[in-house]
Amino acid sequence: MSEPTRRSLIGAGAGAVGAAALLTGSAAAAARPTSGSAQERVVAYVSDHRSDELVLSVGDREVVVHDRDLVVRILNAAGGN
Amino acid sequence: MSSHREAPEIAKDPVADSTDVYAFISPADPDKVVLIANFIPLQKPDGGPNFYEFGDDVLYEIHVSNKGTSTSDISYQFEFETQIRNKKTFLYNTGPIESLSSPSWNRPQSYTVTRTKGRRVTTLGRALPCPPVNVGVRSTPDYAALADEAVRDLGGGTRVFCGQRADAFHVDLGSIFDLGALRPFNEAHVISMPEMNGVNAVQSYNVHTIALEVPITDLSVDGSAPSDVLSPRSTIGVWATASRRATRVYDYKQKGYVGMGPWRQVSRLGNPLFNEVIVPMARKDMWNQRPPRRDRIFQRHVYNPELAQLLPALYPGVFPNLEAYDEKRADLHAILMTGIPEGVVEGFANYTGPVPSDMLRLNLAVPPSAEENPIGLVAGDPAGFPNGRRIGDDVVAIELRAVAGATIPLVDPSYTPDAAAGALTDGTSNTNAELLSEFPYLGLPGSGYLTEPGTTEASA
Repeated sequence: MSEPTRRSLIGAGAGAVGAAALLTGSAAAAARPTSGSAQERVVAYVSDHRSDELVLSVGDREVVVHDRDLVVRILNAAGGN
Repeated sequence: MSSHREAPEIAKDPVADSTDVYAFISPADPDKVVLIANFIPLQKPDGGPNFYEFGDDVLYEIHVSNKGTSTSDISYQFEFETQIRNKKTFLYNTGPIESLSSPSWNRPQSYTVTRTKGRRVTTLGRALPCPPVNVGVRSTPDYAALADEAVRDLGGGTRVFCGQRADAFHVDLGSIFDLGALRPFNEAHVISMPEMNGVNAVQSYNVHTIALEVPITDLSVDGSAPSDVLSPRSTIGVWATASRRATRVYDYKQKGYVGMGPWRQVSRLGNPLFNEVIVPMARKDMWNQRPPRRDRIFQRHVYNPELAQLLPALYPGVFPNLEAYDEKRADLHAILMTGIPEGVVEGFANYTGPVPSDMLRLNLAVPPSAEENPIGLVAGDPAGFPNGRRIGDDVVAIELRAVAGATIPLVDPSYTPDAAAGALTDGTSNTNAELLSEFPYLGLPGSGYLTEPGTTEASA
């Protein structure tokens, strides 16, 4: 997953606002799928909360994303923020 | 079987697969209730070097409902942890295991017991030891002593045991699932064969047992020891579950699976054989996910059980009255889903309210029988199944007879059961280790060294 694609996925928001939006209807309205976005179930796995690594399992593929900002947003969302 | 491999999904996950649940007043101490939940079916005792053990990634629970709503009012949770003492050996043990602290035992397992009542969560014990499996005469030379060492007092009159035991359930699997045949009635089957004795398919196999002995006053709704058999406050509902984390990831760096998320129920068991022979295959996995209080959707399978329709077809001319009976099976509904209300069996009731739910119902005011009848309540022994379930109760015969119509007169006196209904049996008995006379009651597990190969002949 490229950085521009990720940014287009989660929108221009940053910090806690963006993290919350990632999992809410408002984000769904703001984000637009690209032509290559997954059209099936996806599991996101953060193995080490201190790292920048996010592993996405989709179909029979594994996509490893190195993006500390995205990891932190997911951690914040997992913490209820 | 009672619940061994009874549904497609859980059959692929034996570590979480419940096999039998027992609930009875302790014959050794009638002030206490014994609750037993068995898991991990059909353990061949010589299955090493990685022998059977509880799942460290499974939450095992025994639930008690005591308020007449079929919800889990009290639950006991068991979580296990396995160690490797010597990382340099491939062996389960490197010498005789003579105590639970033996350095020769390379893979000890321990557990935590927690009791939840409402919002109150109490840890009853931590780092409680399981015994090793019964490896063989060289490795576990005094297995009884090892097993005894694993019976632990949790205080407050509660004792616990978790570990391997001989499976006391008995059933002729090979015959029953070969077109519903009962070997003692082979000649009457639509595909007739010579009659013969039943074959206990569970013979020589072990299970993993979670056993609790708890004061009656810990389980009754008001903390008393009930004495009025007919009081609705005297009966509890019991069932067991196993749950796994909602998400499981194979973490290559961790070299194993990692679980996350909430516990999700994957197995449950109340009445023996309920999911096995009442629930259609397409709904069995769903049944395993649900709590008893949401069993209303399964009522129709109890009111009109498929097996009751099959018996007249499989045994032509043997069950004419059953074949002609076209009423809802209110007898089975009472036995399996609500408990037996007052007025059905003189001087007895184990009704738990109107919520249709599959639970094992135990009337705490019924004392243990001086002499157990394995046919239980329907044979005049009110301390036996379906009032709770003792280890020696022949639940296959009891449920076969009930489904065949033997219990219809309880709710419909105009019905005359077919002559065969009250005699049905698969012809098996417990041919595993003898039961113990004291807690945890189940017999010692079969030994790996003493295991002999089976007798299957594919051509016969």
